[in-house]
Amino acid sequence: MATPNKTPPPPPSPAPVDEKRAGFEREALVHLDVLYRVALRLTGNAADADDLVQETMLKAYRAWDQYEKGTNAKGWLLTILRHAFINEYRRRTRHPENVDLDTIEPFAVFGEVQDDDPQGAFFDKIVDDEVLREIDKLPEAFRETLVLSDVEGMSYQEIAKILEIPVGTVKSRLFRARKVLQGRLYDYAVSQGYIKGTPA
Amino acid sequence: MNCRECVEHLYEFLDREATPELERDIRQHLEECPPCGEQFDFEAVYLKFLRARCRTQGAPEELKRRVLRELFGE
Repeated sequence: MATPNKTPPPPPSPAPVDEKRAGFEREALVHLDVLYRVALRLTGNAADADDLVQETMLKAYRAWDQYEKGTNAKGWLLTILRHAFINEYRRRTRHPENVDLDTIEPFAVFGEVQDDDPQGAFFDKIVDDEVLREIDKLPEAFRETLVLSDVEGMSYQEIAKILEIPVGTVKSRLFRARKVLQGRLYDYAVSQGYIKGTPA
Repeated sequence: MNCRECVEHLYEFLDREATPELERDIRQHLEECPPCGEQFDFEAVYLKFLRARCRTQGAPEELKRRVLRELFGE
């Protein structure tokens, strides 16, 4: 038990660089998995995803003083990652498609399966790799919205901020992205004999 | 609320992003309309499936080491 006249000296205060590092590790580095998953879906290959994440972390560490501590580090990091992707990677990895998103007609899967499989049991038979492959084939605007929502569980508001689009656009893109993906997964399930039916 | 309006907002509802008024209208419609209820259940299964399939992958250990090395020189 400590006595009043024998208080231990206070521990030496940490150097600023250690504090910066500790803060960065606590708030930013913990999101490495998220950044990697998003980078992988944006670039479409592991080597570029590695480089993109690395570059994002370097940029974030340099700009760490501008980040308001304790707010939304994940959103802040994803914004940096997306800008780096658009400016430096998209040109050489994937080309922004000239796709008219309005012409992509979602297929009504539920109408096809409601008699035979209204509970969607066929989904269980589709493995991770196949789902990711189909996500990678979506137009970029659909893909990034769907990844932030369904892979990373972000709110419409957070997604709108990262993608710099209105919340209403997030809603409509997410609706159509999910429907298009669902139609393609259904086609795949039919082609594999997981479910009876006619491909779209 | 009719079926078309209800289905239009199904993801907002399932994502818990609907306003309280919209959520109330949808719940009321679903109680009165079993086919829409079935469709909502199907879509909920689909979203759960997507999350389960896509969230398993993490950053490779080598990338973690590379980031630490680059940032802190270790």
